[in-house]
Formats: sequence, structure tokens, C-alpha cells
Amino acid sequence: MTPPLLQRAALWRAASLGLWALVMLVSSVDGRLDLLLRAVFHPLVALAGLLLLLVALLQLRLAFGPGRQERGDRRQARTLLLTAAIALLVLLLPPAPSFADLAGQRPRDETAESELSFVLPPAQRSLTDWVRLLRSQPDPKLFAGDPVRISGFVLPMEGEPPQLARLLVRCCLADASPVGLPVHWPAGQAPFPADQWLAIDGVMGLKPAPGGGERLEVVPSRIRPIPRPARPLEP
Amino acid sequence: MILTRLATAWALFQGLLIEALPFLLIGVLISAGARWFAPGGRWLRRLPSHPLLGPLTGAALGFALPACECGNVPVARRMLSGGAPLGAGLGFLFAAPVLNPIVIASTWAAFPDQPWLLLARPLGAVVVAVGLALLLGLVGEPQLLQADLLAERRLHQPLAAVGLLERSSGLVGAPPPSALSAEAAPVRPPLAELMKHASQEFLYLALLLVMGSVIAALVQSFVPRSWLLAVGGAPTLSILALMLLALVVSVCSSVDAFLALSFAAQVTPGALLAFLLLGPVIDLKLVSLLGLLFRPRGLVLTTAGAALMVLLIGQWVNLWRL
Repeated sequence: MTPPLLQRAALWRAASLGLWALVMLVSSVDGRLDLLLRAVFHPLVALAGLLLLLVALLQLRLAFGPGRQERGDRRQARTLLLTAAIALLVLLLPPAPSFADLAGQRPRDETAESELSFVLPPAQRSLTDWVRLLRSQPDPKLFAGDPVRISGFVLPMEGEPPQLARLLVRCCLADASPVGLPVHWPAGQAPFPADQWLAIDGVMGLKPAPGGGERLEVVPSRIRPIPRPARPLEP
Repeated sequence: MILTRLATAWALFQGLLIEALPFLLIGVLISAGARWFAPGGRWLRRLPSHPLLGPLTGAALGFALPACECGNVPVARRMLSGGAPLGAGLGFLFAAPVLNPIVIASTWAAFPDQPWLLLARPLGAVVVAVGLALLLGLVGEPQLLQADLLAERRLHQPLAAVGLLERSSGLVGAPPPSALSAEAAPVRPPLAELMKHASQEFLYLALLLVMGSVIAALVQSFVPRSWLLAVGGAPTLSILALMLLALVVSVCSSVDAFLALSFAAQVTPGALLAFLLLGPVIDLKLVSLLGLLFRPRGLVLTTAGAALMVLLIGQWVNLWRL
């Protein structure tokens, strides 16, 4: 007696492929990809989802079409059931990474830009723009007093106050590397929890660095907690 | 704390998986396309079986099939099961993830100011692929290849090419004329059969990819990467560390150059090249996929051989560039 699953292998294949197609297509529209992958790959994922859906529909036609019913073997059945279950799990459990936890284990992004071809006015620079600019122009005095309007998440630092940070991603979350700016947190302010997204308005100020010397820190005039932006990763 | 970390690992897993699945699909479709356009795959058996020319031809095929290493496995499996000479199949498997237009372009985009890398990466990939093909060729196919792949491969090889002791069936001596004429007119598989085979292959490979991505995501979340990069400046240690990083990170070869860019300033040039050479040949995400081709012995030999060659190349580059 063949188990019922094996009597309609094509149907199960169609269901499994359909679930994976759904994973790719749903991720493309529900904003999940913005959290996982760099934007250039998004169309590729959507296209793969459509292709898989097409193949799934063809398999469905095969399952109900005329002709001999195809009987699969047990190994095939196990593969089909397992892949379907995993696809369902991925679909039902969206990713909820802790950026601070991820950033805490990664070395800082050290991309050395030899020269910046294009510099935005201070108030329009994002956190990432600021980090890159400060790295290419190591003299902090040049920027003291510049207005700052940035957003990022709170990244706890070892031995110093937390920084405001962003994750840079070149392909997917697996290669994320953090960049951060030190913040001169107002005295008496209760510390923000790790991972909290903040929008900070203020100015750049020269402050004593923990290791000696001076460094630029963001001196906030206004700190607003904000929800995580729709596109939290930066290229 | 542990829950936060697990949530992060789950997201890493999804990132790795969803990024790799389209490439896997491309590979499966190329392999199905080859079955459709060249049924019987006679061209595969005409690839050179010379120990050096074979892997070089296989490597050169990478230019025609722009897939990264996940998409590469189904294509290489199709080559080997279709009876391609072992050297050519392995040359393709190991070198094509680097020797293809997309990967070379992305390496150039990431390191426009380091022209030596643009030459050293493809060259190194060919050296590693030829070396691995020679090494694995010493083992003998029955000990190297998975049983079902071997059985499929035997169906497509002329009987005379298989040693007596390696045959599980068939006639002894020259094949009868009827067998020859049957081989001369391969039938194109019906489209429904082709789709069924491709879907089954995709689902099976996806399952293996899931396992690889789970391992890679867990290792990445629970082993701080700063441990690996802490030794950045030491010539030999930095190479070893970045080789380990390539194994763990498991990103596709089409994008790993951009990842390497983020720590290029902290490590020696030899280590950088080692990272770009080893990742496309073997990493945690690939191990289960390669398990479809190789027996455990083949996997161990591939990993050890590739690691040794990449280490030597890295050392040599450090002597030359530092």
C-alpha cells in the first residue's frame, strides 16, 4: 500500500515550490528584503519568485492532468515535506534581528576612501556620510560647529558611552559591518536601550577622546526616539 | 540575551538563503536547459580528458555559464553525470565561480585601484582548480563520487572506459553494435519530465542550502568576527584567519569582493587574496551541497587541498607585495 503522499508526487512538488515562490514574492512586497538584502538584489529575488511560481503551476497541471499518476519514493517524500515545512516556517516567522547585537560582534567598517568626490552640506549628511567624511579628513577641527541631523540605532560600546550607529551591507545581512559616531549624551538623561532608533539634531563638537587627544562628537540639541526606518541598511 | 542572538541568527539565515536561492534556481535551469538542448550530452564526453587540459577546459566553461558557486553545483553534477571527464567537471566546479564575467566585474568594481588582484584572483582560481582536479583524480571515481551520481555517470560512459572491477553491470569487452546505435540517437526528454526533474532537483538542493545556511548563520552569530580579524597584520596568521572567515561567512562569489573591501585595509594582501580564492571553492553553506557530488573522503580532500594551496598562494603574494 503506497502512502497517499506518494501517490501524488507532482501535487506535493507543486505545493513545495509554490511555498518557496511565496517566500520570495512575499519577502519582496512586505519590506522583509529591506532588512536582509541590499536593494540591487531585490529584483532578482522577485524574478526568481515568479519563475518558481510558474514552475509550481506547471507541476500542478501535471498533477491533475491526464496520464498516469506518478508515484514517488520515500526519500522524495521526505525532501518534499521538509522543504515545504521550512518554507512555511520562513514565511510565518519574519526576521527580527538585533542590529546592536550584530554590530557588537563585527569589526568596524574600515573602507578607506582616498578622496570624496562629492560632499553634501552638513545638515544633509547621513550618519554614514559623516563617518566617511571624518575618515577621509582626519583633522577634526575642520568640522567643529557644523550642524548635524542624523538617525541611527543605539550601539553600546565597551568602556565608553554608546554610539549612534548604522549597518553597512554589501550583499546580505551576513556581511553587515557597523559604522558609528560618538554622541555627547546630555547629563542626567536616562540611557537609551540598545537597538533603539533615534533621530538626533545638534552640532559637531570637539571633546576629549577616551584614549587621549580630541575627537568630534555629536552634541545633541534634540533627541527623538523613532521607529526603525523602512530601509535600515545602508550600501 | 540568547533569544536576541537566536533572533539575529534567524535573520542571518534568511538573508543567506534568500540571496542564494535565485542563483541556485539559475543553476538548476541551466542544467535543465543543457538536458533539453543537448540530450544525451555527447559534447560532455568530448571534453578533453588530459589531466591538465581537462580542468582548464572546465574552468574556461565558467565564462559561458555565469553562475556563482551555489548555481554551479547542479551544473557540475549534470556534467559529471553526463559522463564528462572527471578533470573537466572538477575544473568547472572549482574555477567557474571565479572565472565568470559577473564575478570578475564585481571584483573590479570593488578594487579598481588594485589591478594585481584582478589578475591574481582568476589566475589563483585556475591554479587551485587544476591542483584539486589532479589531487582528486588520484582517488579514483568510486571512492570519490556519491553512489547515485556514479551510477548515472556510468550509464553515460562508454563501457570500455570503465575498469572491470568498477562495473556493477554490463557486458565484458567491446559493446555490441546495437548499443552503439542506441547511443548515437539520444532522445530529447519530454518537457514534463524535464520540469519534474528540475523541480525535484531544485527542492533537494534548496534543502541542502537550508542546512548550510543554518550552520553558517549559527557560527556567525556565536563566534565574534573580531577574533578572526584581530591578527590582521601578521603575514601567516592573517591568511589563516581570513581563510577561516571565508569558510564561515559563506557569501556568494559574485559579491564577496565587496565584503572583502570592508576589511581590506586591515589585512595583508595575501590574506585578502586567500579570502577571495577559498570562499568560492568551499564554505559552510556549500558543504552540504558538495555532499551531493562527493563522498566524505572527497569533501575532506577538497577542503584540505584547497586550504593548503590557498595558504601557499597567499604566502607567496605576501612575500611579493609586502
